[in-house]
Amino acid sequence: MPRIDAHLHVFTKVSPEFPRETTPVCPAEREEPVEKLLAEMERHQIDQAVLVQIGGTSLAQHRYLLHCLRAYPGRFLGIGLIPPEHPRPADYMAELASYPGIIGFRLSEFGGPRDIFAKMDVREFKTYPIWCCAAERDYVLWLYPRAIDAHLLPYLIQEFPQVRVVLNHLGMTPGKGKFSWDEKGRPRVQVTGYNLAMHTTYRLARFENVTVHLSGQYAFSNADFPYQDLAGWHRNLLNDFGAKRLMWATDFPWILEDPGYGALTTVVEKLMPNLSASALADIMGGNAKRFLRFPDRHS
Amino acid sequence: MIRPDAAQKAQWEAEGYLVFENAIQGEALKRLQTAFDYWADACKAEWLERVEAGEAAATFYDIPNPFEKDPVFIDIVDYPSYYGALMAFTDDELILLAPQVRTVAPWPVSYTGWHPDVPQSSPLHIKVQIYVNDVPSGCGEFAYVPGSHKPDAGPYTRPMRQESMPGHKTFPGKAGTAIMFNSYGWHVSMDNHSDVPRQSIILIYEKRTPGRVSPEQFAAISESCQTPARRQLFSLA
Repeated sequence: MPRIDAHLHVFTKVSPEFPRETTPVCPAEREEPVEKLLAEMERHQIDQAVLVQIGGTSLAQHRYLLHCLRAYPGRFLGIGLIPPEHPRPADYMAELASYPGIIGFRLSEFGGPRDIFAKMDVREFKTYPIWCCAAERDYVLWLYPRAIDAHLLPYLIQEFPQVRVVLNHLGMTPGKGKFSWDEKGRPRVQVTGYNLAMHTTYRLARFENVTVHLSGQYAFSNADFPYQDLAGWHRNLLNDFGAKRLMWATDFPWILEDPGYGALTTVVEKLMPNLSASALADIMGGNAKRFLRFPDRHS
Repeated sequence: MIRPDAAQKAQWEAEGYLVFENAIQGEALKRLQTAFDYWADACKAEWLERVEAGEAAATFYDIPNPFEKDPVFIDIVDYPSYYGALMAFTDDELILLAPQVRTVAPWPVSYTGWHPDVPQSSPLHIKVQIYVNDVPSGCGEFAYVPGSHKPDAGPYTRPMRQESMPGHKTFPGKAGTAIMFNSYGWHVSMDNHSDVPRQSIILIYEKRTPGRVSPEQFAAISESCQTPARRQLFSLA
């Protein structure tokens, strides 16, 4: 069974060929190129990976992602971003997905009422056209919802049972003002001691088209690797979603310094020591291959 | 104080729950509903801010510090309809751990899955859930697996759908119904397919163990706890 890193980012220096947005963490001169990723993957026997767009939503800003997908066919699948104010998001999605390897799109907002007690009509949600397009064209939706949007998800998932959904980073939903970058250049998300996702995203286990990433532990944990304070979250996800609907990922490159790519290839077995060999193999790649339809590596 | 009769005691031992229909009624119920509605409305905006900040769950909210907001919430802690049973089952060593004055939104799925609250190694842990509005079937009613509170029961696993739990019993009820259950047992809120929020109060009790609740926890309502029984109940004694 292949070992697949189901969520990470690569980017290169800003250039006319590969334009992208710059941030303090990703200045113009910084690069974390696909070749560096491939070296880590080779070293740690990881066969394939999902490259998730970073650095902007425009088509031009996707060029490096598209280059990687084209340069290493069969090795990677890609997740794109949609400009938030695009007048015809479905057209944009279709255009981006016409490039080989793009299988879906990442969202963090859904554009519905912030109050769960409000009347819910998904057709009035701002992202309804995106979900329609995903349903019609079989795109995957890659979700890292804001806390204020988490309650909207079951309405959309119920409306679109054919859309494959991947909840990023343990199904967590960052709160406003709770995101920062730590001194090692890693995302940091402040969360409550009691895992509130138990009452929102974990409840989506009911829907069989929903899977969850086991990733991003470093961002939520108050402990060093292997983040034993999150072992309970992993147990709950396993209980609720089952071993067939969990996907391991590293969130490269943020983890290169601490704990390192190699260490993260062992995080699942360390936090879920009672997994059977077959369940571990599913989480480490089998589920991503099946759910995301990765090609056979040497086909 | 109304002590449980033999049938109630037998059911509690065997099944792990008791239902008190019309436990609170008439003017007392109206007063409770009025206070609940007022404070739930008053506290909602702040709750939404906390949801946005990732500090509160989006699917339900509790009125913070309800005892300090209206004494009606204190008076239901030792309400005669069920207080005698609570005392009997804890050998008169009853303490309150916390109140949850809770509004649960209608949602495509329930806000929680089947679970027990505490392991058998914990002191006897009892909850009383009081419906503040009518909770018909399919509207987020409480459900319990009778007998699941026993040490040799199970093992149980959480099913994907609430209604798939083997042997469960649901408890739709009118406003004022109180359901007392042993929290070793598996329980849940069923899905709410209506457009009406479920309003209920969950009172969490335990059999007293030294130091379990600090005297500071309920010190703010000390003036409302003048009898020895109340001071024991709120760990002020």
